[in-house]
Amino acid sequence: MRALEDAGSAPHAVLACGEVRTCLLPARQALDVRAAAQLLGLRADERVLLSERPNLYARSPDTLTGVDCPLPSANGAHVRAVGTVAARAALTEGRVLQTSAYFRLPAAGPDRRRPWGHYLVRPGTVEPFGKLPHEAVAQGVLDGGRHGELDVGLIAGGLLTRLLRHPLLDQRPPLRSRPTRLRWVALPAEGGEGPSIERFTLAEDELRTVRLRVPEGTPAADAAGLCDDLALHDWLLTTVVRLLDGIRLGSEPPSARVGPGTQDPPAVVRALRPAVDHLLHLWMPRARVAKELAPLWEALEERPGFTRQWQALVQRIRDQLTLHAIPTLYREVEPAP
Amino acid sequence: MTEAVFRETAADPRTQAVPLAHLSLELGHLYMEDFEAGPERLRQHFAQVRPWVDAARAAAAARAGGKRPRISTCFLIDDYFTRFSSPAELVPLLLAEADRAGLVVDYLARESGCAVTGKVPVAEAVAGRIVESPPPGSYGLRPPAAQTGWLANGVRSPVARAPQAMKKAAAWQPPKETAARRHSVFLDVELWSDDAGGHRTWSCPFLAAVWQLARLGLLRNEGEPVFVPQPHTAPGFPDDWDELPALVRLNPRADPFAAYRTCSVLPSRFLPVEHAVRVILDQTEVDRGALRQVAERSAREQVAVPDSVADRVSYVFYAGS
Repeated sequence: MRALEDAGSAPHAVLACGEVRTCLLPARQALDVRAAAQLLGLRADERVLLSERPNLYARSPDTLTGVDCPLPSANGAHVRAVGTVAARAALTEGRVLQTSAYFRLPAAGPDRRRPWGHYLVRPGTVEPFGKLPHEAVAQGVLDGGRHGELDVGLIAGGLLTRLLRHPLLDQRPPLRSRPTRLRWVALPAEGGEGPSIERFTLAEDELRTVRLRVPEGTPAADAAGLCDDLALHDWLLTTVVRLLDGIRLGSEPPSARVGPGTQDPPAVVRALRPAVDHLLHLWMPRARVAKELAPLWEALEERPGFTRQWQALVQRIRDQLTLHAIPTLYREVEPAP
Repeated sequence: MTEAVFRETAADPRTQAVPLAHLSLELGHLYMEDFEAGPERLRQHFAQVRPWVDAARAAAAARAGGKRPRISTCFLIDDYFTRFSSPAELVPLLLAEADRAGLVVDYLARESGCAVTGKVPVAEAVAGRIVESPPPGSYGLRPPAAQTGWLANGVRSPVARAPQAMKKAAAWQPPKETAARRHSVFLDVELWSDDAGGHRTWSCPFLAAVWQLARLGLLRNEGEPVFVPQPHTAPGFPDDWDELPALVRLNPRADPFAAYRTCSVLPSRFLPVEHAVRVILDQTEVDRGALRQVAERSAREQVAVPDSVADRVSYVFYAGS
């Protein structure tokens, strides 16, 4: 009995890890609330959480995947662990789909595997055999494990693949974009200190890694919620930067312009319009981040300045569209970046 | 969400609690053929059950540490696999035979209620909660249990392929129970079967696992309790099984239906079925809200409840078929 009570609190987790996949929903139209609930109804008996303030948001119930394998570790230590990894999916404004898999690790566990029912009443907890070298494992997770080691990205990716096949999706996204992955670890903060982001790295093209310090007792689900939010906004920045990168502003041949006999909007307008239709209203940092972790956003606003960059991008898109709204006759010079 | 000032009900997971007894004691779990054999069979059954019921009550009283234990009794009738007679004919007979042995049936349940209760597809929902026990080496790939309709307590023996020319046939490899102590007792349970028309029939062990979860107060549908006992107010019983509620409270003064623990007194021919039930329960993730409520309530009452759900279930198998 005590053990179950303790499941939520002690033994305290000394490490939480996860991975978030973020992508544009491959559908012409954003999904409304009801369709979102259908897409994310991973369990027949559990409600999809739906929220309309401050933006439309739907989240699936958690599903579990059982694991029994070595943990990744930076120093090559071989630590077997058994337990369950939690995974869930979320849809923001019916447009951006995210799957997030995460688990927490206590400081130590018994030297042999317990009956499976023991692990199932501790959802999202993976217990190490013996003592957990948490710093080495944290780095191992961020670096990406070797084949056969616990792969939380595989679980997030598997859920995403499953959702992307849903018949509700017509596979006609309104703009080109690439999915991103954000891998994260949360280590305990030094005695009594508040939460902090130690490092946010744009690793490869689509991979980001985040290293957090959180106060003892911070639920892994809260850390995952923060990282979902970071991943969503990082994806928005990445996608809009690419969109602007891909078009040549101000250098179109006159034939591409609105002119007599043609109703086609200019290529720039055609390229930018999906961003206005589908992305620009999605920026809303901290919308659902736990109060205790919300201050972490401020560090990112300070440097590199997520919202600053976003506002500059939005302004650029609006300026371009404004310029193209002015008839050519009155333009002294071509619109330039 | 994060601010308590603003709340959205659809954004707040909520689980309704159910009243809980200490022990749910099952007096029988009979199939239509048992009834077909006539009142004599029922009489024998209850006569054999009686001493074990007394023993189970005494054990529950000892666990309650001096306080009066809350114990409710229940009886499950199979109306899912075969239909026979009618409630109007069978239920009075059943109650009379129980009474003759000095037993009171507090709650009567229909097995088809474990498949679908009202409009709630209970069995399907429970099937969606199976989280397979990972054999060593599972690093994140999801095992395809949900597709095959079978659930094992370990790793199956590799499929023997027809030997190709010039190649030797692969040597047979044994299956392996994941929680084996040195030697395996491997069990592979069929959860359901689909007919050509796509109609799904749940297996007896699977419905029995759902029945155990109902008795443990761990079933919810979107946070609402699923097996809610309906009072029996009409003078008699209906002529059609479908008109009988899935769970009827026959004794108005009965302790709550759901309980911290269950005990079932069954003839020993049920042993393989109940082994399968344990394999299923051991790999089913129950509603977290319900699990928490049971943990909190039992802690307040200072009643010890085993951590793992499968360990909350116990049996007495008496000699017989």
